[in-house]
Amino acid sequence: MMEDYGLDLHGRMILEEFRELEPVLFKMKDTVLSLIRKDIADKGLMVTATEARVKQEQSLAGKLERKGSKYATAEDITDLLGVRVITFYSDDVDKIAAMVENLFDIDRENSVDKRKMHHLDSFGYNSLHYICRIPAAVCSDPDCPRMNEIPFEIQIRTALQHVWATLYHDSGYKSGVEIPVGYLRDMNRLAGMLELVDEQFCRIRTGINDYRRRVQALVADGCLEEVELDGDTFKSYLAMQPFDHLNRRIAALNQAEIQDVSLQKFLPVLRGLGMKTLGDVDRMVKECSEDAYRLAAYQLGVTDIDIITSTVAPQNLCLVYVLRKGVGRAGLKYVFDTLNGESAGNEALSEMVYAQAEEMKMIE
Amino acid sequence: MKMDVLIGEEGGALVCTLRGRLDTPASQEVMKAVQPLLEQADREIILDCRDLEYISSSGLRILLMLRKETGRKGGRLVIRGIREAIRQVFLMTGFYNLFEIREA
Repeated sequence: MMEDYGLDLHGRMILEEFRELEPVLFKMKDTVLSLIRKDIADKGLMVTATEARVKQEQSLAGKLERKGSKYATAEDITDLLGVRVITFYSDDVDKIAAMVENLFDIDRENSVDKRKMHHLDSFGYNSLHYICRIPAAVCSDPDCPRMNEIPFEIQIRTALQHVWATLYHDSGYKSGVEIPVGYLRDMNRLAGMLELVDEQFCRIRTGINDYRRRVQALVADGCLEEVELDGDTFKSYLAMQPFDHLNRRIAALNQAEIQDVSLQKFLPVLRGLGMKTLGDVDRMVKECSEDAYRLAAYQLGVTDIDIITSTVAPQNLCLVYVLRKGVGRAGLKYVFDTLNGESAGNEALSEMVYAQAEEMKMIE
Repeated sequence: MKMDVLIGEEGGALVCTLRGRLDTPASQEVMKAVQPLLEQADREIILDCRDLEYISSSGLRILLMLRKETGRKGGRLVIRGIREAIRQVFLMTGFYNLFEIREA
């Protein structure tokens, strides 16, 4: 005998309907989740979570007990299937909303943008709720036509809104116990603060993106002297492949293949060598390339090695740069220590390079 | 000198001792011998090169493959103890910048 949770006849009928709908709801859950996740991935959006649940029988019974007369059938309860997308940024809530509007049929009358519901002097539960249906054109199953008829709810909110809403929920808004005004006011003050934090995160992201675009434009226009050397700008500079020409010349010595690896680890070396702008790095490339090539030719020319990595050009440029600065073995060791961590082997390498440079008359 | 490859364990890590000249003819045999390392590339692998006298381009490619596989499977590749001749090859090819090298 199925549990009836002490519901009246109407409530029991809706509960029975729900039990029959459950397999369809689970099928819808998988379909909706996979459609949303695919679209998020296709659009390159980053979210903290995409989750879904079919309402638990006990929770539904509680709802029917509280306000069962409001519903004529189980399908009038729009959150039997609930889906939630949690974003990092509040800007992304609108992007996900646009995506959801594109994917599903939206029941506008019953969908709520709680972000717009507040009065000027209130804060609180900010979240976007859509009541949707799966359009047959997007997904249909002849054995399960009801999956295109049953409504479901999608909530879209930021991680901070989610934290607030979860804690607010836990604090008892569903428990039937009225929360004292003082606590309610504190919760709402927190909501206001989190809203400001969300906005600030968006502002910072926009600022960083603007800065990146400006730097990329400067790099593309060759205005390297104006661009400070940092992780982002060095990445943009590397995208111009500034060491490729030298690497190809070196590889041509033995018709070697070049294994492309990340060159980002040269950033601390360049900074340690006192370079402040991309212009400083570019000047090193121009002024030291010939000697860096000669050093490679001296080392590789007498071998039949036909594989090098893309680190050879920047490595040799740095080595030649410190030799020209007159910093000698200590400078060479600094380059190796910074690139690969301090070790006794770096001293041996420095000696080796210094001796080669002496033989090549690279050092006065 | 013949090329020897010995694989053992040391404190949870796989240790592969390379002895001799890793030249082009030897590299095919070495490639077969290091198969167990590729299969267990989610672990720490130590290549003991203290007695490695020479390494050719084919040998360097085997090292690259081990690096790639440990990177892909979340393992770690350490090269232990290299002789001056090998150090020179690592320097001129830029391999020195790719590997974690532990002095013996």
